Amino acid sequence: MDYYFRFGVVWANFDKLLQGLALGLALALVAIAAGTIIGIVCAFAAAGGNRATRVGVNAYVSIIRNTPILVIVLLVFFALPQLGVRLDKYQSFIASLAVYAGAYLTEVFRAGLSGVPRGVIDAGRAIGMTGVQVSTYVVFPIMLRNSLPAMGTTFISLFKDTSIATAIAVPELTFQARKINVETFRVVEVWLVASGLYVATCLVIAAGLRQVERRYSRL
Amino acid sequence: MNANPPLLSIRQLSKQFGSTKVLNDICLDVAEGEVVSVIGASGSGKTTLLRCVNLLEDFDTGEIVLDGESIGYRAENGRRTRLAERELARQRAMTGMVFQSFNLFPHLSALGNVMLGLTKVRRMAKTDARDLALSWLERVGLADRAGHYPSQLSGGQQQRVAIARALAMDPKLVLLDEITSALDPELVQEVLQTISRLADDGITLLIVTHEMRFAQKVSSRVVFMDRGSIAEIGPAKRLFEKPSTARLKQFLRNAHV
Amino acid sequence: MESFLHELWIARYVLLSGLKITVFVSAVSILAGSLIGLVTGVALAYGPRPIAWLMRGYVDVVRGTPVLVLILASFYVLAIAGIHFTAIQSGIFALSIFCGAHMGEIVRGALQAIPKTQTEAARSIGLTFSKILAYVLLPQALRQILPVWINTGAELVKASTLLSVIGVGELLLSTQEIVGRNFQTLQFYTLAGVMYYCVNFAIESFGRQAERRLRG
Repeated sequence: MDYYFRFGVVWANFDKLLQGLALGLALALVAIAAGTIIGIVCAFAAAGGNRATRVGVNAYVSIIRNTPILVIVLLVFFALPQLGVRLDKYQSFIASLAVYAGAYLTEVFRAGLSGVPRGVIDAGRAIGMTGVQVSTYVVFPIMLRNSLPAMGTTFISLFKDTSIATAIAVPELTFQARKINVETFRVVEVWLVASGLYVATCLVIAAGLRQVERRYSRL
Repeated sequence: MNANPPLLSIRQLSKQFGSTKVLNDICLDVAEGEVVSVIGASGSGKTTLLRCVNLLEDFDTGEIVLDGESIGYRAENGRRTRLAERELARQRAMTGMVFQSFNLFPHLSALGNVMLGLTKVRRMAKTDARDLALSWLERVGLADRAGHYPSQLSGGQQQRVAIARALAMDPKLVLLDEITSALDPELVQEVLQTISRLADDGITLLIVTHEMRFAQKVSSRVVFMDRGSIAEIGPAKRLFEKPSTARLKQFLRNAHV
Repeated sequence: MESFLHELWIARYVLLSGLKITVFVSAVSILAGSLIGLVTGVALAYGPRPIAWLMRGYVDVVRGTPVLVLILASFYVLAIAGIHFTAIQSGIFALSIFCGAHMGEIVRGALQAIPKTQTEAARSIGLTFSKILAYVLLPQALRQILPVWINTGAELVKASTLLSVIGVGELLLSTQEIVGRNFQTLQFYTLAGVMYYCVNFAIESFGRQAERRLRG
């Protein structure tokens, strides 16, 4: 194997890789924020009595979870303009990732919701709280605490999924790595570093999440 | 006997679950300051009766009058309609309930549990609510555990917090649903003592219990329920010492009283 | 609608070819990946320290890396290392490695969930460890993870779309080629989505049936 390792070239472009990483994190954060709102709304809607909303939520979740994310991203970016919706590549990717996250988070929150003990709802009603008050001050906080671990793993997944944005030329980490690869042919070095950055970031996020969980696992 | 109208008046209350009559024409008056115990076998309808009184369940026919107000339903032109959620919630606040499985809010501390109703339902200011909540926790002997979370409290302590939570709402009547059944034996006494003190303080109590000795000691009257109906009712002493119906005799024998 | 059906008819062989490649790539990857996963899982659960650590490293690095990065890295790095894979071979390689790490964790978990009493009972009737593994532990573990395994198959079908990035002619790339010609972007991307949905839905239903058969 005639290959000389020259990490220097990669280090010279390291700032671009870091920018890509930061962009990826930012995209993941926005997606999980939007996805959380969608997920909470859908989980509560599906738990309510209305049959139509439950079917609708199930359909949404089933469609998104069975469709490859790359297909969703390309559909939103290339096909929506045909319907008159023109989004730039950032908006388009965020929208795709948010819709994608929403489906997974709906399931996370539904599980969290079913983990709320039935008796606690009775207790809330017994002290005179209305249904809305019970949902807000009792069910919702407990559901959230139940869902924290799964939300954490979903966030890590979403962060890795930001690599898909490369396909529509969003300059996150994978895009930058590919660019350096193509320009410098420092193939092993750049992919080693890129992969290392992803793994390190995931480990840091996971460690951070464990701390948060420890704080809140009083339940 | 008290000349004033009863605090709680249950009139011909009936409830049906499918084809089973869970409650059959229940009539019961409870005077203010009275302690009434309800005993009976599992499935006799005791818990359902309590849950109808605090409107956690609806009922098919009959009326419940609490402090002069007919609760749960509105009668218009001979038709009976269930009140709206907000009205029901207001009426529910007039009764307090303590559950067999405590049902404390796991995400709040003991203090938080007692305060929640004060801030959200009685709309008290946070500082006032905190002071009142602390005084109730003190009354059940748990002021030093105010910051603890339910998972950090023993069963008996959790139940006492639940009692404080119910009482802090200043209810006209407190319903106790087998509150010691889920406790380890050594923790039962502390809860029973707390209830005794409340009875001495003149709080009106409707108690569903298996603790026969306690029921005899603390109640003025005892109600024996059997398969959805009141089979026998009378002063505690007489019911336990000279039961008149065969069913009650058998029940007391089985309960080793 | 008519023009879409017309274009669909023209493109039918391209789409079918793409679908065939998708299924082929997914199938090979899950088979290879499952084998790798089996070995990895056993090594993680029962292997000697250094091997377990090596496997731990493999699993953590692969799971912390996006699949697309694995695919791109395989595509470029293998060639440098003297292994001249075609695009489709690099793609299968990457997906197998990904699946192997994923399955490795799952197998490890399933093996470690088996009560120790099983091993003790087997040992007390005189079985050696390799026989215990083959006849007592793995059958139980694998039966447990059957639904998850089928789910991983669905995940691989979804991941196979990423091979379009390195030029493998699977269903998504075929769709892009068709769209490049007739510009019916919305219709054909939606069609691709529907096709993937159907394939995965079928896999998921199969998985649910398998789960039900397991319970009963």
